[in-house]
Amino acid sequence: MSKPRSTGLPACGRTNHLARAILTAVLSATAQLSAQDARQIVEESQHRAQANSQRYAGVLEVIAANSKISKKSWESVRIGSFGASKAVLRFTAPAEVKGVALLVVNHTDRSSDQWMWTPAIGRDRRIALQDRSTRFFGTDFSFEDLEERDAGQFDFRLTGEESIDGAPCWRIEAHPRQGKVSQYTLTRMWIRKDNYVPVEYENLIKDEVVRRLHQSDIQNVQGIWTPRLLEMTDLRRNSRTVLRMENLEYNVPMKDDDFTVQALRREQ
Amino acid sequence: MKAWLLLTMAAIASAQDFTQRGFLDTSATFFPQTAPNDSGHAWGQSLLQYEAFYKLGPYLRFSGGIDARTDTHQQTERDFGLSWWDRTRQRPAFAVRRLSAAYSRGKLTIEAGKQFIRWGKTDILTPTDRFAPRDYLDVVENDFLAITAARLTYGGQSNSIDVVFSPRLTPSRVPLLNERWSGLPEGVSLSELPPAYPGGPQFGARWNHIGQTLEYALSFYNGYDHLPLFRAELPFVQQFYPQMRMYGGDAAVPLSLLTLKAEAAYFTSTTAASDEYVLYVVQLERQSGEWSFVGGYTGEALTRHGSTPFYSPERGFARAVTGLAGYTIDTNRSLTFEGVVRQNGQGVFLEAKYSQAWGQHWRATAGIAWIHGADSDFLGQYHRNSYGILGLRYSF
Repeated sequence: MSKPRSTGLPACGRTNHLARAILTAVLSATAQLSAQDARQIVEESQHRAQANSQRYAGVLEVIAANSKISKKSWESVRIGSFGASKAVLRFTAPAEVKGVALLVVNHTDRSSDQWMWTPAIGRDRRIALQDRSTRFFGTDFSFEDLEERDAGQFDFRLTGEESIDGAPCWRIEAHPRQGKVSQYTLTRMWIRKDNYVPVEYENLIKDEVVRRLHQSDIQNVQGIWTPRLLEMTDLRRNSRTVLRMENLEYNVPMKDDDFTVQALRREQ
Repeated sequence: MKAWLLLTMAAIASAQDFTQRGFLDTSATFFPQTAPNDSGHAWGQSLLQYEAFYKLGPYLRFSGGIDARTDTHQQTERDFGLSWWDRTRQRPAFAVRRLSAAYSRGKLTIEAGKQFIRWGKTDILTPTDRFAPRDYLDVVENDFLAITAARLTYGGQSNSIDVVFSPRLTPSRVPLLNERWSGLPEGVSLSELPPAYPGGPQFGARWNHIGQTLEYALSFYNGYDHLPLFRAELPFVQQFYPQMRMYGGDAAVPLSLLTLKAEAAYFTSTTAASDEYVLYVVQLERQSGEWSFVGGYTGEALTRHGSTPFYSPERGFARAVTGLAGYTIDTNRSLTFEGVVRQNGQGVFLEAKYSQAWGQHWRATAGIAWIHGADSDFLGQYHRNSYGILGLRYSF
């Protein structure tokens, strides 16, 4: 008859160990549940924002640390499903950057590809991954901030509930998965419980919040709850960019061929 | 009839598919030293550039543009005719900058007319950029010229092929012999005969591939060099343009810290007087915070010596280390630095510029450039042309 294997712990120690194991299991299960819940919330949020295409005119105000304001505007078009979409931003003002365009090709399994077209020199230039933390044309958005964040590239954790602008929200942390190249080590996001619209993002490098995106003026546009006012704050520079989406339309007929590097030049 | 035309133009201008842009740029250049062909210390010039684009339906687009300019030093003609071919030695006072129609359907685009065509990936020198002649009248401050051509582009995001046919050569505009950028030594007086332009066409093709971690292209060109050789029967000299064939390639590889770009082209010629050579560029670039850096080496290997004098800023800036750096101070202000040092140490160009914008339309630029070297070097020969520049631009 085999002897029961001893744990080597006294009886009370075994009890404590058992309690710890149960607690760990419960916490682990809770964490898994929380991760699962968090992922479901984010996926539901992305699902609700789904459209075949989107078009808007962006009016931007860049407010520098010394309160100087510069105005810019761009036209944005996007085609494809969230995370695998393609988008083109083309500046319409100020006059000296009119025609400058950025093509963003998003991927579900890796970082986006980006190309910039500069009409003054008639050349396109690929924006390398290591250059994505650079500010996009003097705004407080970095090149990375202009790509879509597919849920599959992040691990999520539900960390609590808070109200933003008076609306109850889930607070979720997103860690980039291994292989995902990002300047940010962590992103905190707040997603409204009533319509699943993300209303705030905090992007951290190590433990420091470096950029905060606040989304407001949420309107139902063709059945999709959409924030029309985006405010990106660069906390290190103490500057912010306010982007207002005008003439927003979803499911506009568009062609895939208009979202290539060749098309950037063609549509100048 | 005129009223109808005006109404039509007004309707086009108010259409959503009509866009326009342009600027009025005025600059003054100050030279501390006089030069053999210039006893003055200051130049002034103004350029009005206007471009318009109109999309007619889903497939057809029209582009048009005009340049109007004048200056104090007669590098610009005083003739009021409208230039199409850009074959004059001086800059035309009025020129069609571009005028083309483009038809796009699916993966196919055909564009015909006067247009800008750029090939290659590197910035500090672009050996494969054969359809991009330049205005080199001021040598270091140069600008591209459009060419008259038909261009067919076919392909998607990953692979595309570009085929270009141009019925006539558009030459680069090289310094006037009676101006300070000619670089002629003191006491040398030459008379220039009208350039002998070739009559034949030129064509080329380029295949470009965009991969996940690598972009590369192969290109071929057959036609004429847009930079001249000189036929001399002293005191007369005449520019002529040798036949040229080019086999080229370019690539860009994003590495973990930097982006590596490389470009090379092998040039042959049936014109016995012309050199045959390889031009190549290796360039690294990086953006970090508010800084952007581009640096690299441009090299040349001569495979046949043609024994005829030539004027080629492309080759003159080769065999050199080049660096560019830009710093964005804030949304409206920036600094740029540029340096070229020939490997023989006999030619150096260093430039710093400060630029500031006001509101939606105005930008002022101030810069200084220092040129140093020996008369025997392409860059060094301009050692009397160090300058300061002030510019004011209104963009619309």
